[in-house]
Amino acid sequence: MTSQNDRRILSQQLTRRQVLGLGAAAGLAAAGVAPTNALAQSDKTGVDPEQWNPETIRQMAGTLEVNTAEEVAEVVPLDYKGKVSYWYVGPNEASSEIEKQVDAEFWAAFKETYPNIEVNVQNLDYNQMLDKLRTAALGKAAPVVARMPILWGVEFAAKGQLSEISLDEFNFSEEEFWPGALKSVTWEGKRYGVPTNNETMGFIWNRAIFAEAGLDPESPPATWADVVEYSKIIKEKTGKAGYGLVARVNAGNTPFRFMPVLWAYGGGALDEAEPNPTYDKIYIDNEGSQAALQTHYDMYVRDKSVPVGALTNTQTENRDPFVAGQLAMMISHPSEYAAIIDAANKATGEDKVIADQVVESMAYGLIPEGPTRRAVVFGGSNIHIFNPDLVEGDFDRDAARALIAFMCGPEWSTKLAWVSSNPGNIRGFRTTWMKERLETIRFLDVTTSMLPYGIPFPVIPESPEIMNIIVPEMMQNALTESMSVEEACQTAREQIEELLTGL
Amino acid sequence: MALTTTRARPVVGARPARRRESVLARIVRHWADYLYIAPALIVMLLVIGYPIYYTVYLSFFATPPSLSMDEKIWVGLDNYRRILRSESFRDVTWNTFIWTIFSTFFAFVLGFAAALVVHREFIGRGIVRGLLLIPYVISAVAASYIWRWLYHSDSGLISGVLMDLGLIDRPINFLDDIDRVMPSLIVANVWKEFPFAMIMLLAGLQTVPEQLHRAAMVDGAGTWHRFIHVTIPHLKGVIIITTLLLLVTNLNSFTIVWIMTGGGPAGASEIWITEVYQLAFGRLRFGLASAYSVILFIVMMTLGYFYVKALTRGDRRRRPA
Repeated sequence: MTSQNDRRILSQQLTRRQVLGLGAAAGLAAAGVAPTNALAQSDKTGVDPEQWNPETIRQMAGTLEVNTAEEVAEVVPLDYKGKVSYWYVGPNEASSEIEKQVDAEFWAAFKETYPNIEVNVQNLDYNQMLDKLRTAALGKAAPVVARMPILWGVEFAAKGQLSEISLDEFNFSEEEFWPGALKSVTWEGKRYGVPTNNETMGFIWNRAIFAEAGLDPESPPATWADVVEYSKIIKEKTGKAGYGLVARVNAGNTPFRFMPVLWAYGGGALDEAEPNPTYDKIYIDNEGSQAALQTHYDMYVRDKSVPVGALTNTQTENRDPFVAGQLAMMISHPSEYAAIIDAANKATGEDKVIADQVVESMAYGLIPEGPTRRAVVFGGSNIHIFNPDLVEGDFDRDAARALIAFMCGPEWSTKLAWVSSNPGNIRGFRTTWMKERLETIRFLDVTTSMLPYGIPFPVIPESPEIMNIIVPEMMQNALTESMSVEEACQTAREQIEELLTGL
Repeated sequence: MALTTTRARPVVGARPARRRESVLARIVRHWADYLYIAPALIVMLLVIGYPIYYTVYLSFFATPPSLSMDEKIWVGLDNYRRILRSESFRDVTWNTFIWTIFSTFFAFVLGFAAALVVHREFIGRGIVRGLLLIPYVISAVAASYIWRWLYHSDSGLISGVLMDLGLIDRPINFLDDIDRVMPSLIVANVWKEFPFAMIMLLAGLQTVPEQLHRAAMVDGAGTWHRFIHVTIPHLKGVIIITTLLLLVTNLNSFTIVWIMTGGGPAGASEIWITEVYQLAFGRLRFGLASAYSVILFIVMMTLGYFYVKALTRGDRRRRPA
């Protein structure tokens, strides 16, 4: 496939969706799209680039008609009367209107399908839900069902806080999910959840700022070294921030944006980027990791070409300067486009003019590659049932099964991932809803093109601490010059060693 | 109030006329009093006593690799040793010291100044008092987000205004700089806390007898001398209590630091309470976090002892002989 395939994608977009797909196509083309190492990396996720690429996805979309009510009725009768509590990271103030709308539609549809199942829903903030779940589980006040980001589930499984499940009880089969996604819900050979969505991000840039800085507006940086250089040029020529670096501790945005750089340089936290990871080797201080951290040091300390607030920023804080035309590059989901359009619509006066220009200038491409590989976090979410002993109130497993079967079927698996992600149930790719997504959502091709480069976080219970605390602290130690890059990596190594050998 | 007693006045150097009653005897004698407060005591034992016991108990264990506390490992005093020997403990303690002392000092000084101002009669005093109370009544979470926005290193209002006025040519890095982060947080904290000191001291000022001031004025004392020799001695009790309460509040303060910086960057604003939270819920080292909490508890209890002592000093003075 590779470049020939990409040319086909480009030509399709230019003829059929010139306006919608121009940025994405430019990104794909400029980045080469050639998945030189995608085949090797796909071992870890099971996302075969021959089978899963923008063209094949486009071909399969719309070939499957689904009747969700009929499917879930085989799992739990539609007249079943019960009750279930459910916690998740749902749409918030920063989410696009369309995400909020889809979420509301989901609950309306579930109520219509299962009118006698009462769901006690709690929509929690991403950066708070983990602590709340940990506390609730310890206090035996956990919800029956929780949808968690892919990184968290194993910790709860290892602590014996989740119920073992089988795909059969939801009328699903293994073939309906990517192997990498199933691996993320598996601990010591037992399954503890169902994948709801799997996502990879893309690289976003503002073509107008590129042009202002004398860079080719249609060519995003191909490598991370280019990102450093482009960021510097943009800062020098325009005074605007180049790359939207984020390094806040305890914020999911940080590892999702920094780990791809570590992996691109041959580094990692453990050996998660290797073909057959064992998670017993520490890579955080190897040459690759140090080189990756050096790129961020160069941007933040040496060139001062990124937002100064990077150490306390999350991705949400990058959005405003991007909309205001003050930030040129960042990593994010396709949903960023919807959110930025929302922000532009809410802007007034001169701000509105600038925001509209930014929307027009916005382009998506592949995440840059490094000397070793191109990489992106194979993220997403999984849905789990808690251990009955830790649940507050009644534990109604059938009600939980109904909710999970409904949510993880091809219809809602696709709809709930509408602007942000890919359906966890890969039958979703064949539905008419997927076809509608491809026709209406800009830049979706880019993130599906990134799928084969996906690398999952280590599937070990210590992952949340490594990713949310140790790695961001390593970045902060280097970026504040509290430590040299080498010392910061060495300190992180010691912390991971201590963590893996017992607390 | 005149107090009378039939007890013989003790003679200096002589043994007391009556033998001191033992604690147990006194409890038995006041059994009805204890009965009345028993429900409250039982509830306190359950909601305060048990958690304290469990925290102390957990502080002797380590979290196992499975992270399951059912399999916790007995380590004796190791957690305490690790904390007291660790470099991070010294850094966090120093940050906590700076945070507590400066927050308390400036909140007190600003609160006192504000109390002195709003104690005087002037047109619009009620409105000014109300306005000064706003920081205190506003939610700490909301205040933290507001200050984060004011301080933001790229798009913060403070830097924006200063740049518009031509006073600076690039934004000030308040929260992402290891040297500036703590002073910046202290400013936000003082803004939030000074109204508390103001309320306390204003209440105290209103109890200073006016005739004392008048008498001092007749004696030729100026404003400064009246403040030092009349107002301050009269406010001594309130000052001690306000200071102790501010100290305890600042030692326990979590919201502002956690929301604005999460203890960062690079641990530059990590204080005891955020460290305990991070250890327990971020790193899942419940044993270590419990040991930290026990140390913090001892410090707080010491301050609490002085607080209660300051509170009850007047009572003891008034107690019958």
